[in-house]
Amino acid sequence: MKRKGLTILCLMLVVVWLSGCATTETPKKVPYRLSPQGTVIWEDEFEFMPPPPDWKLLRVEAGENDINFGFMRSDPGGFPSVTTFAYDEDPFGCTAASFEGREREFFKRFLFNAILRFQILERKKAKVVGGEGLAVTVEGKDPVKKEKVRAKVVFGRRGERIVGFYITQWRPMDGSYDLSAFDVFDKFVASFKFLKKSFYETL
Amino acid sequence: MEGHQRNLYLYDRFNARVLGVSRDDVTTLKYWANGLGITFPLLSNITAFLGASFDIQPEGQPIFGRRTVIIDKYGVIRYVRDGSPDFKDILLFLKKLNQEGGKP
Repeated sequence: MKRKGLTILCLMLVVVWLSGCATTETPKKVPYRLSPQGTVIWEDEFEFMPPPPDWKLLRVEAGENDINFGFMRSDPGGFPSVTTFAYDEDPFGCTAASFEGREREFFKRFLFNAILRFQILERKKAKVVGGEGLAVTVEGKDPVKKEKVRAKVVFGRRGERIVGFYITQWRPMDGSYDLSAFDVFDKFVASFKFLKKSFYETL
Repeated sequence: MEGHQRNLYLYDRFNARVLGVSRDDVTTLKYWANGLGITFPLLSNITAFLGASFDIQPEGQPIFGRRTVIIDKYGVIRYVRDGSPDFKDILLFLKKLNQEGGKP
């Protein structure tokens, strides 16, 4: 009888112990860590200088496997005053091997949800992740919604593929741009490093 | 489709060929392929029999569901996934298939 009671007690303890486990929260895994130098190591794959703390991390849904992450800042002023910049493993476009060709493909679809008339403000060669690249600054205007956007797109190479960085700064049509955000973006791009070969290079 | 186009050089490496199938007519597909720069074949299947064969024709709808199918050189379906293509998964599968000699 004593033995039976002990068995029941043991079973109860197991149940309590298991239910305790069920309520224990597992720590949320973040995809980055900080290096002693103050840089961010992202998934042990990329290293870059983070923007100032008023920029929020933006994790874009990994649509069709591209690695997308970036940063966002709400700006003073009326809607849609916001600035966003990101790294994109597979920017729009697919056939062109040259940066100029990819630029043409890219701008067919860039911000395609907004009906914008783009004007190229500047196009120049750039040093990107230790290699050659192309930086294109544009301004797009939507006369119907009375909104505008200033954007800079930087193309570089990772192995055989073209990768991209871009910043968009939206404003109401009568708003003024804050170009200091573009300096933050330029520092982000300049600090960016690949820590290992891409998935595609390992195939 | 852009993703498949970007990966064509890798599909080639693994002896794989890609085909797109849609219910759009030929003129629409040509226009669309030119716009995106797609160079691999796109099949126009307006009668939808391919969709019915692969069980991706939602009843009463004029479009196919999205499905990725890999067929090996013997005509055996080896891989089926619904939704947006998982390109890394597809590439790893093709690599494996190529290594085992079952060239798709």
